[in-house]
Amino acid sequence: MQQLLNGLFIGSIYALFAVGFALVFGILDRLNLAHPAVFAASAFIGIELVTVGGLPFWAALPAVAVVGALLGLIVERVAFRPLKGRPDAHFAGLISSIAVAGMLIALLQWRYGAETRRFPADAFPATRFDVLGAQVTLLQVVIVAVCLTLVVGLTWLVARSRLGRGMRAVAENPTAARVLGVNVDRVTATTFAISAALGAVAGALFAMNVNSAQLGMGSAIELKGLAVIVVGGMGSLPGALVGGLLLGVAEVFAVQYLGSAWRDLIAFALLFGILLLRPQGLFGGRRARQV
Amino acid sequence: MLTESTVTFIALGAIFAFSFYAVLGAGQLSLGQAGFASVAAYTSVLVAPDPDVVGDVPALLVALAVGMTAGAAAAVVLGLPTMHLRGVFLAIATLGFAEAVRIFVLNAEWTGGAQGMSVPKVVTPTIAWIVLAVVAYWFWRSGPTRYGRALEAIREDELAAGAMGIDVGRHRLGAFVTAGAVAGLYGVLWAYTVRLIGPADFGFTAAIDGLVTAMVGGTTIFVGPVLGSTFLTMIPEIQRALGVEAGWIRPFVAGLLLLVVILFLPGGLAGRIPRRLRVPSLHDGDRPELRTREHAPRGDVVVRLAGLSKDYGGVHAVRDVDLEIRSGELLGLIGPNGAGKTTLVNMISGLVAPSSGKADVLGVTAGRTPVHRVAAAGVSRTFQHSKLFGRLSALENVLVGGHLVTRPTLVRRLLWLPSARRDERAALTHAARCLDRVGMLDAATTRSNALSYGDQRRLEIARALAADPTLLILDEPAAGMNPVEAGELARLIRSLADDGLAVLLIEHNVSLVRQICDRVVVLDFGEIIAAGAPADVAADPRVVEAYLGTEA
Repeated sequence: MQQLLNGLFIGSIYALFAVGFALVFGILDRLNLAHPAVFAASAFIGIELVTVGGLPFWAALPAVAVVGALLGLIVERVAFRPLKGRPDAHFAGLISSIAVAGMLIALLQWRYGAETRRFPADAFPATRFDVLGAQVTLLQVVIVAVCLTLVVGLTWLVARSRLGRGMRAVAENPTAARVLGVNVDRVTATTFAISAALGAVAGALFAMNVNSAQLGMGSAIELKGLAVIVVGGMGSLPGALVGGLLLGVAEVFAVQYLGSAWRDLIAFALLFGILLLRPQGLFGGRRARQV
Repeated sequence: MLTESTVTFIALGAIFAFSFYAVLGAGQLSLGQAGFASVAAYTSVLVAPDPDVVGDVPALLVALAVGMTAGAAAAVVLGLPTMHLRGVFLAIATLGFAEAVRIFVLNAEWTGGAQGMSVPKVVTPTIAWIVLAVVAYWFWRSGPTRYGRALEAIREDELAAGAMGIDVGRHRLGAFVTAGAVAGLYGVLWAYTVRLIGPADFGFTAAIDGLVTAMVGGTTIFVGPVLGSTFLTMIPEIQRALGVEAGWIRPFVAGLLLLVVILFLPGGLAGRIPRRLRVPSLHDGDRPELRTREHAPRGDVVVRLAGLSKDYGGVHAVRDVDLEIRSGELLGLIGPNGAGKTTLVNMISGLVAPSSGKADVLGVTAGRTPVHRVAAAGVSRTFQHSKLFGRLSALENVLVGGHLVTRPTLVRRLLWLPSARRDERAALTHAARCLDRVGMLDAATTRSNALSYGDQRRLEIARALAADPTLLILDEPAAGMNPVEAGELARLIRSLADDGLAVLLIEHNVSLVRQICDRVVVLDFGEIIAAGAPADVAADPRVVEAYLGTEA
């Protein structure tokens, strides 16, 4: 039981991170490899806000989300918009977002140095609960609640709101969407902002969960995020949620039964199995492109 | 600044970038190369003899051979199950493979785990550059061959490449295995250069570095990887020489330069180098026409459709069509929008499998046969939305069209055999003749995506003709043409049928169809509602009804 809950905590962070990936991929058909850098940056910024700014940890989350959204706008403007209309935009977008990610990490190194940063010792309340014989901290409950709320909220946004309609129109056919009066550039920028804001919150929560932030934390979660969206179905938001939780739980059990050395293999075993058996993912619809 | 190790690492980086170039050139994004390199490095160190016993060069040669084989074998093992994946899916699957290899190496006993494995240093700058030269030679010579052009065509448009008779699956796997072999060479050289190899040497970062080097250098011409590697290896050296050492500035500037290159130099550093292509003169000796097959004599049935139907989830796109097409016949297929015309020709050309019924096309069963085999049987087509190879010149597009009638030249070009040159020139002349036939020889060197709409349609016809087809399918070739252009096109199409081809013409321009077709078939709601001589069909009340609606 304890293991299952631990898996769900870490899994909900994976899910929140992966939803950001999935949102951009599902709507714009682009893989944004600067996403993990935003994840890492927001962890450091969150720690600074709490340590230096004196914010309580729950108030740091919205602040981090705003910073993340701004970073997302910058990433879109610098790494993706200039490539619009290029025949190699798919591959070039990977490279340009890698470049921006590298610059972002370099800036982090400048501001925070290479050492691991931590939250102050008393940043989190010590409240603990007993759930079916397992120990749960208040912080963990908050993590799961925030993640689930955001993912469900985002799914609702895409499915129901005017903005979401615009997003889906752009996903289907950008040219047609433009003709019909959708401001494609603005929808694209908003998508990036939302995606990055979610990644930022995921980064701050991750840092709270393990109480540390390192420069390499982004690349550590990057592969897992990719595995999650493949398992869930590349553009699928509910798929990313389920995939994230599944990965979190699978990892925790892998550590218990196979040893920690093989923990990271789980993500790739899952990924490979899914790609070979069901390439559209658990929740993805197949998008056919024909003559 | 140019120390011995810098020079070596430029060569190593370029070799690794070539392994990405090999697949990027065919439009595939694979990140598994670090995994191939890892497999190759560890296997060769395990298998190859000790340099102290047999001497440096023999030991390295054995190691290189082992590594290349191991890399290629790993590529086959990974490639067979994943070749149906596209774009980022392939990238992620291959990345997963590389990561799985890394975790295996980390946990296995014989690899030394995280501590790594110590390897004697054998590689000198000279050796590294010799290997690089060999690899570059391969890509230099293989570029302008039938094989190289086929890969480019697949990169530009897989579907059209298949319709030109290119076996897409085999070519993609071929590119993948090349990537594996080259990555294997890199892995071995790396191992015998750095003295100690560990799992981190072949991790995610290494894969990304290789991709970045290849993309920055450019993936359309073979010097790209060398330029990319020089650029990226020299950045830190130049920064050090300038005294820019502060920890964060270096990665920041590197990232900035990378961004600038990718945003402002489309095609990478090498993208500026123009591709040379000599347009042959048509009177260049008396080269015989390139032909492969005996065409069916005029009047023979080349296509026989029996009860052909296609449903899309309850929608009957095509219903119970019986049709024969004969050699030398120009058959017009008309019908209102959504009548199922394109679905029907997709079934004939093998792109779409019928739900029921049988399509016997030049002796093969279309729909049950891979597209490239249907093309090889003698079917060539154009597409409703033109599917040219956008970044290739008009002449190169037609050269790809000639895939089926030309001979493979890769091996002979690698060996500099004069017959390869002869064959390449014959292919060029053939392509130029086809271009000339549609009146586009003047535009031979223009990139096809820069052509006007009407010219693109004519170029597609030239490309289809280059395959020397028995059956030519034209899907709305006159769409978007002005009356003068359409008139010229009509004369061209008529002359093709007079030469003995079977031509199936889908067209909305009914007067054009009436003017040139021998026979017209009208499709409405997926069914044939009329067939016969153009004048009779035009007078048929059901046809009038289908086009204009009934009088209320």
